[in-house]
Amino acid sequence: MNVVRDVVRVRGLVKHHGQGQSRVRAVDDVDLEVPEGQTLAVTGPSGCGKSTLLHLLGGLERPTDGEIWLAGRRVDTLSERALARLRRRSVGFVFQAFHLMDELSAAENVELPALLAGRSRREARRRASLLLDRVGLAGRARHLPSQLSGGQRQRIAIARALANDPLVVLADEPTGNLDTAATREVLRIFEDLRGAGHTLVIVTHDERVAATADRLISMRDGMFVDDTRLAGSHPRGLGGLIGLEG
Amino acid sequence: MGSIVLVVRLVLADVRRHRAQAAMLLLAVTVATATMALGLSLSGASDALYEQTRAATAGPDLVALSGDTGPAVTSALASLADDPEVVAHHGPYRIVYAGLTTRESTASPVVVHGFAEKPGAVNRPLVTSGQWVRSGGTVLERGFATALGVGVGDRVTIAGRAYPVVGIAVTAATSIYPWASQIGPGGGPSDYTGLAWMTRSDARRLASSQDLPVTLAMDLRLRDPAATEAFIDAHHLSAARANFHSWQFRAQQDLVILRNSQPILVVGSWLLSFLAITGVAALAAGRAVEQTRRAGLLKAVGAAPGLIAAVLLTEYLALALAGDALGLVIARLTVPVIASPTASRIGDVAGPGGATVITTTVLAVAVAVLSTLRPTLRAMRTATVTALSATAHQPRHRPWLTALSALLPTPLLLGLRLTARRPGRAVLQACSTATTVIAIVALLTLHAQPVRGYGLNGSSVLPNLMVEHGRQVMLAVTILLIALAVVNTLTFTWTTAIEARANMAIARTLGATPGQIAAGLSTAQLLPSLPGAVLGIPLGVGLLSLFAARNAVEAPFPWLLGAALATLLATMALTALPARLAARRPVAQTLSAEAA
Repeated sequence: MNVVRDVVRVRGLVKHHGQGQSRVRAVDDVDLEVPEGQTLAVTGPSGCGKSTLLHLLGGLERPTDGEIWLAGRRVDTLSERALARLRRRSVGFVFQAFHLMDELSAAENVELPALLAGRSRREARRRASLLLDRVGLAGRARHLPSQLSGGQRQRIAIARALANDPLVVLADEPTGNLDTAATREVLRIFEDLRGAGHTLVIVTHDERVAATADRLISMRDGMFVDDTRLAGSHPRGLGGLIGLEG
Repeated sequence: MGSIVLVVRLVLADVRRHRAQAAMLLLAVTVATATMALGLSLSGASDALYEQTRAATAGPDLVALSGDTGPAVTSALASLADDPEVVAHHGPYRIVYAGLTTRESTASPVVVHGFAEKPGAVNRPLVTSGQWVRSGGTVLERGFATALGVGVGDRVTIAGRAYPVVGIAVTAATSIYPWASQIGPGGGPSDYTGLAWMTRSDARRLASSQDLPVTLAMDLRLRDPAATEAFIDAHHLSAARANFHSWQFRAQQDLVILRNSQPILVVGSWLLSFLAITGVAALAAGRAVEQTRRAGLLKAVGAAPGLIAAVLLTEYLALALAGDALGLVIARLTVPVIASPTASRIGDVAGPGGATVITTTVLAVAVAVLSTLRPTLRAMRTATVTALSATAHQPRHRPWLTALSALLPTPLLLGLRLTARRPGRAVLQACSTATTVIAIVALLTLHAQPVRGYGLNGSSVLPNLMVEHGRQVMLAVTILLIALAVVNTLTFTWTTAIEARANMAIARTLGATPGQIAAGLSTAQLLPSLPGAVLGIPLGVGLLSLFAARNAVEAPFPWLLGAALATLLATMALTALPARLAARRPVAQTLSAEAA
C-alpha cells in the first residue's frame, strides 16, 4: 500500500509584522499539512497573510513562533545558508511579478537554478530545454523577458521553478498580472504539473484559480477560516471548469 | 526670486536626505582642490619667503664670488664698488670651507663667512636667537642649526677648533640650507653645505690654521635691482675668475628643495580629481532614476527646463564650490609648512593667488559638471510621463558573458554577471584601482632611490631634506588617493548592491546563500579591479618617467607586484562589509517592493 507523506507540515505558525501598537499578526497560529502530489490553493482578501504564509513555507521569512517541516525536516530553525540549500533543492517559487532577470534570455533564466545548485552548464542547458518545451516556449529560448508577453514570462518563471525538480512549487498570485488568455496558458501548465504529481501551493485571490486545486483553504486575518477538499471534482479539466476551453 | 528660493529649498531638502553623498562629494572636491592649490602655490610661497628674508636682511642684489685669492683678486672685487650702478656694498670677505662636528658627532661640511662684528649696509644677517658674532664664537644659519639640532649655548667644532654657538641667524645672501656654499673651493658648485659666521679675524685664523680652501665674496646693492644681468654682462673681471649670483638666481635656487614636491602635488591633484569624478559619477548614476522621476515631477507641475536643470545641477555645483572653498582654506593653512622645509627663510605666506583660485574653482566645477551632466541631461530629455515611471536602465544582454559565467562557481557567476550589468561602472572601478596603484608605485619608487644624506661625505646622519620632503608629500598624496579610492570602492559596491537588489533577491529564492550573494557583490568589484591593478603598474612607471631624474632607479618588481596584490586584497576586504549588509536584506521585502 502506498503511504502518502506530507511534503509540508506546519504547527502553530505565527508571524508578526511590526512592534507595539502597530504590530500586525500576519499569520496567526496556523496548522497545515500538504501531502505529496496535492495542489493546495490558499485564498483570501488582500492583506490576510496568504503571501506571508507562502514566504514562511519557502524560508524567505522567519516565523515569530511555530514549526515548519518540509519533507520530514524541520526548517524554521535552519541557518540562512541551510535554508538557501533547501530552496535550491526542494522549493520552486513562482511570483505574480514573474521576477525574471531582465538581462538574461528565457533559457538562461531557466538554467540559473541548476547552475546555482552546482550542475554542469551542459546539464543545466539540457534541463532548461526540456522545461521550456514543457511550458511550450522552446521557440522562445533566446528571447529576453522584455520580448515576451506576460503569460510567456510567467511560463518561463514556472519552468525556472521546476529546474531542480523541487518537492514543492510555491506560487504567489501566479495569474495576478495576466489577462484571460495568459491565465489559461498558465492554468494548463499547473494542470499538467498536478497530473505529473507535483506538490503545489498556490496563493491566489482569483476564485477561478482556486477552483482548480485539490484543496482550498480560505484565510482571514492571518487565520484559516475554511479548509475544503475538492479533489476529483473537475472531470472536464481545469480549463473546462473555468470556461476557458474551446 | 521665487524660482531661486524654490531651487534653494529643493537643494537643501535633497542634501538633508542624502547627507552621506553630500559629504562624499564635499570630501572629494576638498581633497582635490586643496592638493592642487598647494601644488600651484608653492612657487609663489617660496618667492614670498625669499623676498621677506631679503628685505629683513638687506639682501644683496648681486654676490660676486671668486675661487682665487690674493691682493689682486681682493682689489678687483673691491673695484666693483666703484661702479656707478652700485649704491652699497659689503666686503670683500672670506668664505672658508671646513667641516663642522656637533657634540653628538654629527658632521657636516660648512662654509664660514668672515663678517664684521658690526653689520654693514648690505647683507646684514637677521639674528633670530642669541647675538651676532663676537670673537671666539660662531653664529649658525637657522636652517643649518635646525638640521644639526644645535642651539645657542651649544658648542660645535669647526676644523678641529671648538666654538660656542652665540647666535642663530638667517640671510638672503646665500641659498637655503643645504646650498650655502654657492661655489666650491675650485670655483665649481659644491652642495650640501651649511653656513656659519665668524668674525673676520677668527675666519682668517681658521683658514690659515689648517690651510683650508678659501674664496672671496663681495655683496653689492645696485641702483636698479632688476638690472643684475646687465651688470654681470658689463663686468668681466680681468684679475680674477669671478661668478656673480643674482638675487633672482637665489630665489630660483630656493625652489630646488621643492623640485620633487611640486610635481607630486600637481599630478597628485589631477589623480585626486579623477577619483573625485569617478566617485561622484557613480553616485550620480546611482541616483539617475530618482533624478529622472524628480525631473518628471517638476515638469508635471509646470517647471521650465531651466529651472529643472538648476535644481538638478545646483546641488552638486554648490557642494563642489563649498569643497573648493574648504580646499583653498586648507591649502592656505598648510602651504607655509610645505613651502619651507628648511628654517632658512622667515616671513608669512599669503593665501593662494587669483590664478590658483580660478584654477581650483574650474576644477571643482568640472568635477560637478562632468559627473552629473549625463544623468541631468537624461532626466531633462525624458518625456514627463516616462520620467514619472522611470525605472533603472535596462542592462544589455551579453550571451557570451552569460555562457562563460555559467562555467564558473556561483560567486564568480554572480560577480561576472553583476559586472556585465554596468560596464561603465566597471571601467570606473578599474580606473579607480589603477589610480591607486599608480600612487603606490610612485611612493615605492621614491623609496627605492639611493639617497645621499647632507652629512659629511653624503652621510645620512643629516637627512636629505629634499628627498624626505618629497617622500612625505608623496605619502600624504598617496594616503589621500587611497582614502578617496576606499570611498569610491564602498560607493561602487553599495550602488551595485542597490541596483541589483531585485536580481540578488531572485537568486536567493533560487537557492543562492547570503554568503554567495555577498561574495558575488565583492567579486563584481574585484573583477574590474584586477586589470586596473595590473595596468596601474606600467602607468605608474610611465608617469614617473616623465618627472624622474635620468639616473633614477626603478622600484624592484616584486615590490610593485606586492602593491598590486595588496590593492586587490584591500578591495576584497573593503567590499566585504557593504556586500554582506546588502546580502542580508530580507528577500520577501525586496521582492514585494520591486513588484509594487
